[in-house]
Amino acid sequence: MRYGMAIDLNRCIGCHTCSVACKTANNLPNNIWWNRILTIGGEAVDTAAGTFPNNQMQFLPVNCQHCENPPCVKACPVGATYKREEDGIVIQDYDKCIGCRACMVACPYNARSFNWSKPEYYVDHALGDIDAPVHQYNVVEKCTFCVNRIARGEEPACMVLCPGRARYWGDLDDPDSEVSKAIKGRNYVKLLEEKGTKPSIFYLT
Amino acid sequence: MNQKAEKQLFTKPLFLIFALFAVIGLVCWFLQLTKGLQLTNLNNYNTWGLYIVGFVIFTGMAAGSLIFASSACLIKAMEEFKPFARVASFVGAIGSVVAAGLFVIVDIGNPGRVWHFVTSANISSPMFWDFLILFAYIIIGIFFTRQLVMVHEGGEEKSLKTISIIAFIAGLLVMATSFIFALQVARPLWNNPVQPISFLAAAIVIAFSLLTIILANLNKNSYIKINNEQLSKIGRIAAAFLAIELFVVLGELAIGMYAGAGENSEIVRWLISGEGAPFFWVEIIAVILGIALLLNKNPKILVTGAVVAILGVFMIKYNLLQAQLLNPLITYAGPPGYSGGEGVYLPSLIELGVSLGIVSIGGLLVMIGLDKLNLGAKPRPKTGKVELKGNTHPA
Repeated sequence: MRYGMAIDLNRCIGCHTCSVACKTANNLPNNIWWNRILTIGGEAVDTAAGTFPNNQMQFLPVNCQHCENPPCVKACPVGATYKREEDGIVIQDYDKCIGCRACMVACPYNARSFNWSKPEYYVDHALGDIDAPVHQYNVVEKCTFCVNRIARGEEPACMVLCPGRARYWGDLDDPDSEVSKAIKGRNYVKLLEEKGTKPSIFYLT
Repeated sequence: MNQKAEKQLFTKPLFLIFALFAVIGLVCWFLQLTKGLQLTNLNNYNTWGLYIVGFVIFTGMAAGSLIFASSACLIKAMEEFKPFARVASFVGAIGSVVAAGLFVIVDIGNPGRVWHFVTSANISSPMFWDFLILFAYIIIGIFFTRQLVMVHEGGEEKSLKTISIIAFIAGLLVMATSFIFALQVARPLWNNPVQPISFLAAAIVIAFSLLTIILANLNKNSYIKINNEQLSKIGRIAAAFLAIELFVVLGELAIGMYAGAGENSEIVRWLISGEGAPFFWVEIIAVILGIALLLNKNPKILVTGAVVAILGVFMIKYNLLQAQLLNPLITYAGPPGYSGGEGVYLPSLIELGVSLGIVSIGGLLVMIGLDKLNLGAKPRPKTGKVELKGNTHPA
């Protein structure tokens, strides 16, 4: 079994809803985004490239790619980040992390964030799932594929609210899973595949 | 006698300056511990900064010093430096390794969990290999220094052979410290086989330059006796290895410029004419000037050259880090803080304070060692025991 996700770039409208869903469900501290929508376009987010009327804009949602060959796992000196045998999810153990940030340097996608300060929140009560991760100071964190939610049989939070229905989720080893069916017959790219990381996120084009 | 000597050490201006900076460094580290690494100018892209550069520089200094001391015992052409092997070995094994270790401690977010290196080690991590190497340097350095002192005090020469070979190999292992950079598929500027060679060259430049400065000064107060010819030979070796570093940098430039576009090219453009240009041109000028000055025979110019050479290597490593980290593979615009690397990296005052503190602690250890251990040319009179007797039986 290997969990994976497909994101249809033709359906993504860059609304950032999945980013916010992720942030809320996981009760992410201020300034931390596990799932962000990058703009392939101008200099700033949500701006187009080129000059009017020949402008272009494309969105690229990026979170942890849950690589089959994750460089971050090799880099961690204390084994605080590891790949789950049973479903291929790359996990970060906050209690083990010494905060050396070797995994952040190793990640080609810059998918990881560090808690540079004590976690602070815009609202004064916790948001999201009851079992949302407890965020720690001075450790590295990243997208977990919502392990807590999938343990309950639910889908990752980013899947749920996508108005464009651009995301597909499931077991890549099962040909009948939603994600496998979505990929089948479609052209897709994987981010920086030439780096040998074997990502589990498929971008349908 | 002994007390007088102690007083002399503790009132030396350099000792007081080091002590002051060590205290400032401790205060800065305390602030960083309580407020977090947000007090540094690091971020999710430029995630490694001055502390890691400090770690690289001082690991190199340790390795280069071990190479200096051991080659003086092993290689004919270096034999004339044997009288200075004790100083080199001590500077390398104690001052530099302690500084390198402290730079790791202040860099990590959870220094209280540093024991995880032992209890939950991941042997595939280059960071863990560095931990092992640093640990080996301390052990080897202490034994080597002790053995050198014993031989100086009339022990058998033969006993040095094995430990010298071990120390020499340990010194060469500094190449493995480049693996935290060279093995990163995510970082094209680092991900090449020249990094180990470059780290070895850097280690020799830094250690030989520092030894030039230390030996020239110790010669002045006749702690040791070194002539200008010997001093300039150390300088020439440092210059030769600094030239290797220059070739590596020029090679990186050539690769990026020839390609014209792509990962390496963008980094090179950032360095030559982009935001990193002021840092890069300081680096190039310091390296070339360092080589020129180190080839001079005048001891004063040599010492200046050594300082410039250390600055040159520091800038090479500083730029190696920021040029790559601020130019990641994916640079599309995202939410605040996630738009690829932005701007340049300048350390914050806290980072500077902590770093100066660590360098000063290294300096203090070296000064204490030079004073208390038998590292110089003259055998020290053993006054300790006499004093002790006098104290325990008051008249």
